[in-house]
Amino acid sequence: MRLPSHPLRWLVSACAVTLLAAAAAATPSVDAAIEPQQITLGESAQLTISTSGSGTLSVPLPVVPGLEFRVVGQSRQVQIINGTSFESTSTLVRVTPEEAGIFTIPSMSPKSPPLVLRVTPSNGSGSSAPNPGGSQGQTPLLPGAGGANGIRLTADGSAFVRLGIPKHEIYVGESIPVEIQVGLRDGFVASINGLPKLNSSDFTLNNLSNQPERSAKIIDGKQYTLLTWRTLLAAVKPGTFSVDFETPLTVKIRRRPQGDSMLDDLLGDPFMQNFFGMTVPKNITVTSPATAFTVLALPTQGRPADFGGAVGNFKIGTDISSATAAAGDPLTLRMHVSGAGNFDRVDSSMLHTGGEWKTYDPKATFKATDPVGYRGEKTFEQPLIATKSGPHTVPPLAFSFFNPDTRRYETVHSAPLNVTVTPSAAEYAANQAPPPANSAAAPAGEAPDGLRPDHPVTGSRASTLLPPYFQPRYLAIPSVFSLLFAAGWMALRRRERNAGDSLRARERARSQRIRSLLETMSAASGAGNAALFLTSARSALQHDLSARWQIAPEQVTLEEIDARLGADADHGDIRQIFALADEANYSGHAPNATDFDRWTQVVGRRTSSEQPS
Amino acid sequence: MSRFPAGCLLAILCAIAPLSFATQKSVQAQSPAQTPAQPQQRSPSQVQPPAGYSAAALYNQANAYARAGKPGLAVLNYERARLLDPGDPDIDANLRHLRKTSRLPPDSGGTFARVAASVNPQILAWVGLAGFLAAGVALLARRRYGVHRRKLAAAAVVGVLLAAAAAANAVALWPTVHTAIVIVHSAPVRVSPTSTGDPLFTLTEAHSVRIRAQHDDFMLIQTAEGRSGWVSATDVAAVVPRR
Repeated sequence: MRLPSHPLRWLVSACAVTLLAAAAAATPSVDAAIEPQQITLGESAQLTISTSGSGTLSVPLPVVPGLEFRVVGQSRQVQIINGTSFESTSTLVRVTPEEAGIFTIPSMSPKSPPLVLRVTPSNGSGSSAPNPGGSQGQTPLLPGAGGANGIRLTADGSAFVRLGIPKHEIYVGESIPVEIQVGLRDGFVASINGLPKLNSSDFTLNNLSNQPERSAKIIDGKQYTLLTWRTLLAAVKPGTFSVDFETPLTVKIRRRPQGDSMLDDLLGDPFMQNFFGMTVPKNITVTSPATAFTVLALPTQGRPADFGGAVGNFKIGTDISSATAAAGDPLTLRMHVSGAGNFDRVDSSMLHTGGEWKTYDPKATFKATDPVGYRGEKTFEQPLIATKSGPHTVPPLAFSFFNPDTRRYETVHSAPLNVTVTPSAAEYAANQAPPPANSAAAPAGEAPDGLRPDHPVTGSRASTLLPPYFQPRYLAIPSVFSLLFAAGWMALRRRERNAGDSLRARERARSQRIRSLLETMSAASGAGNAALFLTSARSALQHDLSARWQIAPEQVTLEEIDARLGADADHGDIRQIFALADEANYSGHAPNATDFDRWTQVVGRRTSSEQPS
Repeated sequence: MSRFPAGCLLAILCAIAPLSFATQKSVQAQSPAQTPAQPQQRSPSQVQPPAGYSAAALYNQANAYARAGKPGLAVLNYERARLLDPGDPDIDANLRHLRKTSRLPPDSGGTFARVAASVNPQILAWVGLAGFLAAGVALLARRRYGVHRRKLAAAAVVGVLLAAAAAANAVALWPTVHTAIVIVHSAPVRVSPTSTGDPLFTLTEAHSVRIRAQHDDFMLIQTAEGRSGWVSATDVAAVVPRR
């Protein structure tokens, strides 16, 4: 290519390129895309038509037999470049099939290829009924006036209630998880005054939590707060029914009709209206679009005898607490039923008594793996006892349920369990043979498991394992008797001490008496009163000897003296004092002074300890 | 008055006998709610077992736990059975077998403990008490009366020996009264009576520990090696249940 060399040629070339580019840009272009390209009958797809170019573009909706096209949203963007306006539009179209099949949507422009939408029949139903709610998690929330997409906004667009369900054809007793969404436009709804309420007596609904899931969503450019409850819905009788939910709300409404003033037009947004205090609260009830259900009765044909009303898809497994046990010992047989369905109707009587097993009523526990209890595992635990020893087999357990997917009853079986039962203590003792003399087996009286056999339970029982030494009632007895012994010991010692005291008192009195008599003797000796002297001397000797002989002083007579003092050196003198005292009293004979001194020495020698100082 | 010692001793024994008898018979009047703690798993045929503790029943339960592979509960019930019937050789044999097969440490009791604890405390306690009373009465009578002094001295010596035997038995049983058995597969021992924090160490099932204190749902324990810490009360069980 030859390049322009003159400046004027340069300018002409630049203008030509610019004009060609502008012309190319001004040429309208249309692009279209559909998502998803494969749906199930009852669901909807979204067709997005994008146009760009100058001027106002108008794209007619395609017409395809069996498909319904409805515009649900449109956006437009205008740019002015060099005085030329360029417009970009994006149109959202909801495509709802009326029947299953492969549909071809004609191309919107010559350059774009035609679009293909594959529609498969709905799972298990085969029905061509429309699906207002769409499949859970697949149909986006779209604003609209009707309930075709599961959303019906209130007249002022403040709130909506949407019911998300997996299918519309269910069986009596079958539980299906449902999702109830309440959309509250931010700044427009003052409060929600209650939980969503089911408006149908043909269905039962599990309890709703007071704490729903909370999320935010933008619908048609407006911010909504979504409150989501998940629960289980079940039909109670066959037929065709419709279900809707309602929720009481308090919304803020305008005080004056829109359009009364220019200010209202300027402040049409609820945020602005609230800000300027132009709203008042009002209680309303928001109702979801009615959702149609076809409830089928469970077939009677082929119903197993042990069918208990479980509807869903389940599988079972079994295990046992121990593979070895002694006869009479309890074992625990467990059956695990896992899957999805109405677990509240999952029940089993498990193993029945008979043969080598004695069984008891099972107990069931359920552990859900989802928030609504639709999926999980229910475990049945049954105590059982082997009545005989030997190798035993726990027979397979069966569980019957109705599978709504396959539309027939199914019975699943568990695997048999092998258990080795050793003899019980009584059985072992009864069957035990005397061991051989040189046997190297277990010692006598020892079971095969190495343990000595059980004992017969006889005799009295103790109220406590605490040894008596540490029981307060026992400890009180030696404590009390210790005190008693101590008291008795002290009483004996006191008694002995008192006895010694009286003896000493008598001794003191005797000594005092002797001293008094000795003084009388001395006085009588000085006065020459022989009778008084000898009488006092005899009395002093009587007191002294009576203390030695532990007898009364009056009992100390001449005969007693002769008997007890026969070998004593003073025997003669003492005897003579007694005789002279009698003689002085009765005959009046008085000894001389020499005799006084002699007798005084004799008495003083005998009573030396009591001599006055 | 010479009949005083014999009459006094007879009166004392007559006073003790109803107390001793009441200890045994009071079990019969207990309601099921006051019965001792039962094992966690029991035979359905024993839904309403007789009230009170029986050495044979505890021994049988221990055997059942041993066969079911629960050495902790088995050791616990063997120890309890041994408290009531220490002379039963089957209990000791099965306990030794269980410790051996479960690779548990052997019984750490010394010779004194084994000998002193080999007598039935339910009997020796009352025999020792009778000896104590006989010794006391004999000593008092010997001091009060001067007759039969040698016979009374001999009676006092015999009584003191019986009381000493009972006291030795009580001393030997004291550790057992404060012993607990780990009844779970592993019991974490922590530095404080809380469930948070890393454990100091972990006790394995059927280990014997000594109870030092209790706080709420935790027990302060001490192992045979001298290590101490707090363990959850649900992980261990006292040989002598605490009321």
